[in-house]
Amino acid sequence: MLASLHSANTSQAPVAHFSSEHSCLSIDHLSLAYAGKAALRDLTLSVPRHRVTAFIGPSGCGKSTLLRAINRLHDLNESVTHSGKITLEGQDIHAPQTNVTELRRRVGMVFQTPNPFPMSIYENVAFGLRLQQRLPKRKRDDIIEWALTSAALWDEVKDRLHRSAWQLSGGQQQRLVIARTLAVQPDVLLLDEPASALDPISTLKIEELIRNLKSELTLVLVTHNMQQAARVSDYTAFLHQGELIEYGPTDQVFTNPRLQRTENYITGRIT
Amino acid sequence: MTSGAANTASRHARFHWLNTVWPWLCAASVALSLLMLGALLALLLARGLGHFWPAALEEVTLRSGETLAGEAVREVALPQQAGTEQLYFTGNQDIEGVRWRWVAVEEIAERAQPDDLIRLERSPWGDFIGRLVAIEENDQRLEGDAAWQRLTTLLALPASQRQASDLLLTTVDGQPLRQPLANVISAQMPNAMAWWQKAHAWGEGVWRFLSEGPRAANTHGGVWPAIFGTVLMVILMSVIVTPFGVLAAIYLNEIAHQGRLTRLVRIGVRNLAGVPSIVYGVFGLGVFVYGIGGSLDEWFFSDTLPSPTFGTGGLLWASLTLALLTLPVVIVATEEGLARIPEAQREGAVALGATRLEMLTRIVLPMAAPAMLTGVILAIARAAGEVAPLMLVGVAKLAPQMPIDGEFPYLHLERKFMHLGYHLFDTAFHGEDVQAAIPQVYATALLLVLIVLVLNLTAIFLRHYLRRQRGNEC
Amino acid sequence: MTPPRLTSSRQPLRLLQDRVATGLITAGGVGVLLAILAIGIFLVWETLPLLAIGDTLALAKLSPLAWGTLKAALAALLFAIPVALGAAAYSAMFMSASLRARIKPALEMMEAIPGVVVGFIAGLILAPWVERHLASALLMIVWLPLSAALAGCLWQLAKTRLRRRLPLSWAGVWLVPWLALMVTIVLWLAPWIEQQWLGGDLRQLLDERFGMDYATRNALIVGIAMGFAVIPSIYSLAEDALADVPTTLIEGAQALGASRWQALWKVALAAAGPGVFSAVMIGAGRAVGETMIVLMASGNTALFSASPFEGMRSMAAAIAIELPEASPGGLTYHLLILAALVLFIFTFLVNTLAEVVRQRLRRRYRQMGGTS
Repeated sequence: MLASLHSANTSQAPVAHFSSEHSCLSIDHLSLAYAGKAALRDLTLSVPRHRVTAFIGPSGCGKSTLLRAINRLHDLNESVTHSGKITLEGQDIHAPQTNVTELRRRVGMVFQTPNPFPMSIYENVAFGLRLQQRLPKRKRDDIIEWALTSAALWDEVKDRLHRSAWQLSGGQQQRLVIARTLAVQPDVLLLDEPASALDPISTLKIEELIRNLKSELTLVLVTHNMQQAARVSDYTAFLHQGELIEYGPTDQVFTNPRLQRTENYITGRIT
Repeated sequence: MTSGAANTASRHARFHWLNTVWPWLCAASVALSLLMLGALLALLLARGLGHFWPAALEEVTLRSGETLAGEAVREVALPQQAGTEQLYFTGNQDIEGVRWRWVAVEEIAERAQPDDLIRLERSPWGDFIGRLVAIEENDQRLEGDAAWQRLTTLLALPASQRQASDLLLTTVDGQPLRQPLANVISAQMPNAMAWWQKAHAWGEGVWRFLSEGPRAANTHGGVWPAIFGTVLMVILMSVIVTPFGVLAAIYLNEIAHQGRLTRLVRIGVRNLAGVPSIVYGVFGLGVFVYGIGGSLDEWFFSDTLPSPTFGTGGLLWASLTLALLTLPVVIVATEEGLARIPEAQREGAVALGATRLEMLTRIVLPMAAPAMLTGVILAIARAAGEVAPLMLVGVAKLAPQMPIDGEFPYLHLERKFMHLGYHLFDTAFHGEDVQAAIPQVYATALLLVLIVLVLNLTAIFLRHYLRRQRGNEC
Repeated sequence: MTPPRLTSSRQPLRLLQDRVATGLITAGGVGVLLAILAIGIFLVWETLPLLAIGDTLALAKLSPLAWGTLKAALAALLFAIPVALGAAAYSAMFMSASLRARIKPALEMMEAIPGVVVGFIAGLILAPWVERHLASALLMIVWLPLSAALAGCLWQLAKTRLRRRLPLSWAGVWLVPWLALMVTIVLWLAPWIEQQWLGGDLRQLLDERFGMDYATRNALIVGIAMGFAVIPSIYSLAEDALADVPTTLIEGAQALGASRWQALWKVALAAAGPGVFSAVMIGAGRAVGETMIVLMASGNTALFSASPFEGMRSMAAAIAIELPEASPGGLTYHLLILAALVLFIFTFLVNTLAEVVRQRLRRRYRQMGGTS
């Protein structure tokens, strides 16, 4: 393993540290509160490049909140306050010179329930592209085909690109949303329980897709499904009540957790 | 003890009896409302459309030997005594001096519907009812059937191509009348008409009602200027109210901080929809007409003062006032549409790197468009039926000029205009001969109700369609 | 297959556009809201000169108008509240769902009928008719509810087969011909009753016995006409409130042995009370401000009379008639604007009250785990 994991002393939350060339995203002492109510407490971790990192934890532990913080989606909600730092490729995402829309292009996000726009499949994928720049149609078509192929959807939709995206099945919709995000070529893809609303077969397809995509970009997966985290992720972070409890290579966290609390959760004794 | 038990038992029984009756009273409330609504619509339909059906003309001989001819309008009980009396529309105001005649039914010796009675629509003097004796053109004279044939061919021509000629007429009691053709608008022989001829005449009557201007102090003719004025005013109003209403709704729902103040503003806007329309009229008169209009006159039209240009009611001020009146309707409907868009759509757009403007214009507004359209249609429906504020800010009994004409600048915003609702009110309550105007008023009322109902139905179906579509998505 | 790299040359422009548009929307939105607010400010501003004049005669001139407004609104509500609430209770609790889906929009359509049309029918058609058939009209007011009760009793006695054919859940529709029949019977019977017991002419009797004048356009006519216009708004809101009562509550009451009516009376009405109240408030606001119906059906005589057979003049009607003729800045002008201010404040307060009550109710339902 390239990552050099040095375990912290027992009093502090364990943190996986990667040398800067392998760390894509790092979170430094991040705390966040909704209208004064703490949701994340002093979180520090870094996410390795071209790997799948899973955030697990009981519902309400702050894993989705953390994901949204990375995309600065909390900007939409005025009652959210935060302290600490998030850096993407060494750049502070809250720095004044940071362009939020550019940040969000670089950090794609896929939500729990598929949210295709009420337009055709083609237009859904073209949406982000059109925002970025005016492209000749040929070139745009190429990118859309590439994105849909990367999301393993091309063969299923190539004959009906101009039909409404709402006619697709739930699993297809979710892959369309991934394709839509891939089309703007993000560096990081955040997936917020992407398969929780899907049937088992669609879930398997999404998981396979996630594994394939890691050669292209860095993935962060939030899930409440332990098996899923074990199946697809390289690193796993366990969060509980807004705190990072344990973070390390997935094998280690699942087979040999250092802390009792982690083990309790993984074995289903706390939910 | 026993009496007490019996007492409670009887109270129970009465209670149950009432229990069975109350639901029926409630059901009867629904039935009564439906009955009233149905009766109103049926009355408007029957009288409004029936007005154009050529009515049979009766020739009545009274016991006194007197004869008269006319259209039987209605029969009512005589006051203070048994029996009924019949109201006839006899026309011939230039001969008799009156157009209406009450006849006690007992007095009538004979009623007949001879085929040769004709009804001429004229201006001035209104209708003539009687017989056609001859038609004189230059030195040519046609009589009998030939005269009627000639008259119908002449009337079929456009007014400018008709040859100057005189009609020799006689009333049923033998008084002669020489009538220049130039004053005749149409002629009918209703008793001789087959049903399809009557249907044709009915269609023509409806068309003339919709396409011609009013005559004889609004009691006859058509309502075209009123339709035109109403439509133009409503179009101007929607052009003003749509952008502002949508803007305000977007601001309230998407941009404003969702705090206590916004909630208060929202309640306030909602309540403005309940403020009486006349209050908006007062505001329009005080601020638009006297305030802004007065100032405009001083600055730009001082040469025509003291006769006001913009400082009096007019099309622009009426449209603005109604726009203000319907603003809450548009805001509320648009806000409802915006609120119903799932947050996930907004987040999806933002997560792809869209700015707020891009999110709004590309995702949110297209999705809210049907709701906005619903709001605008509801606003139009409300504005089309609203009369009270217009009485203060620019409606006219009879507008001498249309607000759009060939004269620069083509659209005359300062002119007064006619409005269907006000036309109805004015004709029904300020006419000289209300009795003669009532059929006209019925037709106008029917037209107004139809316009408003169709607009409302459109809005309802649009909203229904919208809900269904949203339902599929969830 | 990797796509060509994206370049984001448009970034600064996009941000600028966003900034500008947000500013414009904010300006526009705030502007519109301020314009709406301006109505209140204008009305207050224009009534201030009255304070300077300090003329008590001014108020004396307004008071018959205020009385007329109240009388007209009261007459309308007397007719509208029982009918609208009855209809709301029936369609929320008893009516079959498929029927309700059609009847409700139909009744809400009533609201769309322009006031000027209702006023015309009331002033020119209904008023002369009632004047000639006063006894029939009064008899109808008494007889129609009784006939509904009679229908209920007959239905109880009827054979099961007939009862299944004409269920209570469809009574709102099949009572229509029944009521129409009753109306015909009244029209046929009334002259005879008038002849037998009322000495031939009810109006004369009223005049001789009670000294009541009869004006053709009077409070009775206004009540019926404006009631007709107000029924749909009360009905619609009250029905919403009753239909939103969580079904668990009503089923719970029925499970305890209450009849459907008792469940409605004791449970649903208690729960939806505030909603029903706010519906009545909104109706009152509408009745107070309605202009054309009062203008056309009331005779516009500024009288201090409580008689239902005499006319009145309401504030709204007075504004519509007198304001265009009043010279701006004159006493009448300010007085009429004061009347408008009174209308504005009254309806605004009433509506706010209704809205606040309704929102609180909605929150309560949500806590009860209701369907809304």
